[in-house]
Amino acid sequence: MLAVIFSPVASDGSRIFLELGNLSDILRQVSIIGIIALAMTFVILTGGIDLSVGSILALSTSLTAMWLVRSSNVADYGAHIAAAIALALAASAAAGLINGVVIASLEIQPFVVTLASMIGVRGLAKWLTSNANIDIGFGRDVAASFAETFRNKSIVIGSYAALSALLWFVLSRTVFGRHVRAIGDNERAGRYAGLPIRRVKIWVYALCGLSAGVAGVLYAAENHQGNPNAGVGYELDAIAAAVIGGTSLAGGAGSIPGTIVGTLTIGVLTNMLRLNNIDSNVEMMVKAVIIILAVAVQRRSSND
Amino acid sequence: MRPILFAENLRKHYGGVHALRNGCFDLRAGEIHALIGENGAGKSTLARIIAGATRPDGGRILIDGQEVSFAGPVDAQRRGVAIVFQELDLFPHLSVAENVVIGNARFRSGPFAGARAMEAFCGPYLQLSGLSVNPRRLAGDLSVAQSQLLALARALSMEPRVLLMDEPTSALFDDAAEHLFAVIGGLKSRGMAIVYVSHKMEEIFRISDRITVLRDGATIGTSATAETNLNEIVAMMAGRSLEEVARHAATTRGAVVLSVSGLTTAKLTDVSFDLHRGEVLGVAGLVGAGRTELGKALFGIDRLSAGTIRLNGGVIRPRSPRQAIAAGIGLVPEDRKGEGLMMRMSVLDNSVMAVQSRLHGSGLIRRQRELDAVKPVLNGLSLRFGSYGSPVGNLSGGNQQKVLLARWLLADPQVLFLDDPTRGIDIGAKQDVYRIIRELAAMGKGIIFVSSELPELLRCSDRILVMKDGRVAAIVDASGASQEAIIAAATLVRPTAPQDHDAR
Repeated sequence: MLAVIFSPVASDGSRIFLELGNLSDILRQVSIIGIIALAMTFVILTGGIDLSVGSILALSTSLTAMWLVRSSNVADYGAHIAAAIALALAASAAAGLINGVVIASLEIQPFVVTLASMIGVRGLAKWLTSNANIDIGFGRDVAASFAETFRNKSIVIGSYAALSALLWFVLSRTVFGRHVRAIGDNERAGRYAGLPIRRVKIWVYALCGLSAGVAGVLYAAENHQGNPNAGVGYELDAIAAAVIGGTSLAGGAGSIPGTIVGTLTIGVLTNMLRLNNIDSNVEMMVKAVIIILAVAVQRRSSND
Repeated sequence: MRPILFAENLRKHYGGVHALRNGCFDLRAGEIHALIGENGAGKSTLARIIAGATRPDGGRILIDGQEVSFAGPVDAQRRGVAIVFQELDLFPHLSVAENVVIGNARFRSGPFAGARAMEAFCGPYLQLSGLSVNPRRLAGDLSVAQSQLLALARALSMEPRVLLMDEPTSALFDDAAEHLFAVIGGLKSRGMAIVYVSHKMEEIFRISDRITVLRDGATIGTSATAETNLNEIVAMMAGRSLEEVARHAATTRGAVVLSVSGLTTAKLTDVSFDLHRGEVLGVAGLVGAGRTELGKALFGIDRLSAGTIRLNGGVIRPRSPRQAIAAGIGLVPEDRKGEGLMMRMSVLDNSVMAVQSRLHGSGLIRRQRELDAVKPVLNGLSLRFGSYGSPVGNLSGGNQQKVLLARWLLADPQVLFLDDPTRGIDIGAKQDVYRIIRELAAMGKGIIFVSSELPELLRCSDRILVMKDGRVAAIVDASGASQEAIIAAATLVRPTAPQDHDAR
């Protein structure tokens, strides 16, 4: 539908746009932000926010690459790659877990806690890598093999699709998901109803860290490097995707399908503007207008 | 006499629910006009439309014979209509004076509103509303009764000709309500037209000049108060006549289920009592006497500095509502909007909120199992609602309260603390609450029933615990007690404690 709406804009590139290859390219391009936006939806639903996801992504790419290039002659590629991914995901989940524990136990505002960890985790990634990109390379070693596998379109899109389905199920069909929505709707009432509020919050931030870690692994493969400066501003893109998809920053309102629509809206828009060779600075201005328009339209319809 | 305000055929629906189908109303200068009806009859909706806070779907409003259409409350204020809402909407972190001037078009100042200018402006209105506090105090530090008066002062500062009050006494004890009536009488004699929305028949018959009854979203009729009587009005409200309910016959008392001794928190001092199985223990006292705080202490919200709680003989020390619930204590909070319900979530979600782990061990929601559990309970409460999936926020106050009660009926605690469960709900819903209390007691539960209305406490309770300044002032047998004796215990300084120099 969006493709039709934007077709006058995309007239030059509309032929390319509708090709299957281009459509799957869009999906692949939005997957990294999309995966973060899924978990961001959980966080925002509880009335929180997570600004640290871009930095956690950087930590994850850096750790993945560092482990992969640690030794050049590895016998078992599979085990080595699995260990690299496990390390990156464990560190990312741990960073998210710390966010959650600090937010839930010290009762500091999520904005402040994750702002601090956005700075701190970025510092950690830069310190670990001595501020340098870690190139994965294009040779025939284990690192290059990892990159070839995990930059594969079907793996990237498949990961996004699988996580979307999983998190949609968790949010709408499990007690945990209902707790997430209940806490965002009215945290005090949740407390009076005996909900495990601290535990739910901790898991939500751990989930968000973990998903940024998954995105980081895919980023390392996509870009053939571990980059401690990666992911700057991704937290805002993920928040924008959730908001366009109908998630309220006040908590309590939002859904996974909505966030997927929000993610695709941004992805399709970016793709069309690029196919028409529109300046990337103009692209940012258009995005700004789209965010406001999307939320304004939802407000109107929810008020009636 | 030409009405100052005239409304006809006002309509409003939320989702599939018609909150108002045919709202008609006329108002004269210098009268107190009561607006009554059962839960969901459309009183509050009608009042909100007249005050410009809600936009009607259809119908018209005339002021001085001219048709008006309000863009919002500020627009209504400009035309001389002000409202004091049922749910107080004050800014707790702003001072009393700031609360009066904020958003007030009549208070003009530069960008820097000086404290002295604000205080000079709000002084006369604070006096008019009878609120004698330092205007620099924070609104959040005021008692419920004082907050009510502050909201009134704010409305008066708009210099309205029409003042709407939505259940102003629902949280007030008798003495504070008396004070409010005197203030309202003063306003009336100054020629102000007052719309008074309330459930309390006694006060409506005492202070109003005319009564308009709504039922199922439509105006049934308007009568001069002097020419009608209680039975007539109740019949109009209900479409049936009032059945007198006899006093709750004392059930046979079982063993002690809850035993509290020396309970002390920041707000309570040395509270001790026993609660038996099958017993309803009423709790009376002025607002701020520690009734709500007693619930918070038992429910693990406020920290105990001393004292013990025994449930079935075993000492418990809940540190959170979660632990209290696990031990077998339930609490229906006084503030159902702020502490009770998730307004955007569905009737079903809200009903099962406290029993999810019992219904779904593995963590997956099994909808059929939930429906099977919830249906009989909601039917037993005669709840009126669109569907299990509709948001609780779309229901009327009384039906919301029933959803909250359903949550605790499902949770099936051994001791249930009901904090003013009939606050702001109509006669029909109140009867349902009384019936549920009796049924729970008959099932052997221990019930603690807090109320601001003495007649219902006397009727439903076996014994009444009277609180004053965070202490137990008296525990009396309800069958032999009089209202006067309870009010005396709640308000008088006992001669045995002359050294009590509490500044309040």
